[in-house]
Amino acid sequence: MLVGNALERRMQLSGILLILGLLVETLCLAWKGPLAFLVFAGLGGLLFFSGIVLYLLSLVSVRHRQE
Amino acid sequence: MTMPLALLRLLILTSVILIGALIWRPGITVSRGGKILAFLILFCLPVLCLTMGFSNELERSKSTEFCLSCHIMEPYGKSLHVDDPSYLAAAHFQNHRVPAGEACYTCHTNYTMFGTFKAKMHGLRHVYVYYFTTPPSPEKIKLYEPYNNRECLHCHESARSFEQGAVHNADPDLLPAVKSNQRSCISSGCHEVVHNVATLGNVKFWNGGQ
Repeated sequence: MLVGNALERRMQLSGILLILGLLVETLCLAWKGPLAFLVFAGLGGLLFFSGIVLYLLSLVSVRHRQE
Repeated sequence: MTMPLALLRLLILTSVILIGALIWRPGITVSRGGKILAFLILFCLPVLCLTMGFSNELERSKSTEFCLSCHIMEPYGKSLHVDDPSYLAAAHFQNHRVPAGEACYTCHTNYTMFGTFKAKMHGLRHVYVYYFTTPPSPEKIKLYEPYNNRECLHCHESARSFEQGAVHNADPDLLPAVKSNQRSCISSGCHEVVHNVATLGNVKFWNGGQ
């Protein structure tokens, strides 16, 4: 599924992590219990953080290679 | 500030579609415009969704419904409907002295700079105790520290009924002692019937005017 050069692959992986994070957020919005808060902050936050950091790292690493 | 739930869901859906398109066609990020678009889709939109979602969850955690969703809190929710004005929590709830939707939070947060943060930390501890240990029975639940009059005075201070009330002024030393938290509003014999969940089997309940 992941195609293209290293930057594109990392962006795709980052996108997948972010979509998973958004799905967790959607689930937590529909789930009324107190655990929803923990799942959102823990699992959702981790997926969002990983996705965003991977995307930013991919930008930095490509620029570094170009130099 | 909270975003309406429908708008947040729309934002999430839009983000999923745009991120999906980027995963499907990563080649669009080759051009300068594509790179800016990728930044908006993979950074700005997720950060916005995360912030709004977190804000929404924090607001929801203040709701009465949220607090009462743990079974252990059910008697406390029931005590809000006692048909007896001497029950402090019931009198506040039924007369809308506290917002019905945030009844627990209004009285059980600290009105200090980090009060909300402290309340959330206590909430996390409650979740831990509820799910991972043997929780105490409802009537054995205690406050972490004696109830501070500051929480009452947040609303009642300067109110005419409080400042000029006959009982409050019967003893000239009473109001200064209450305001300096030297004499507790609820544990010094004045308003000591609060939730009293152990006695709920013997009381009448108000049906909410229905």
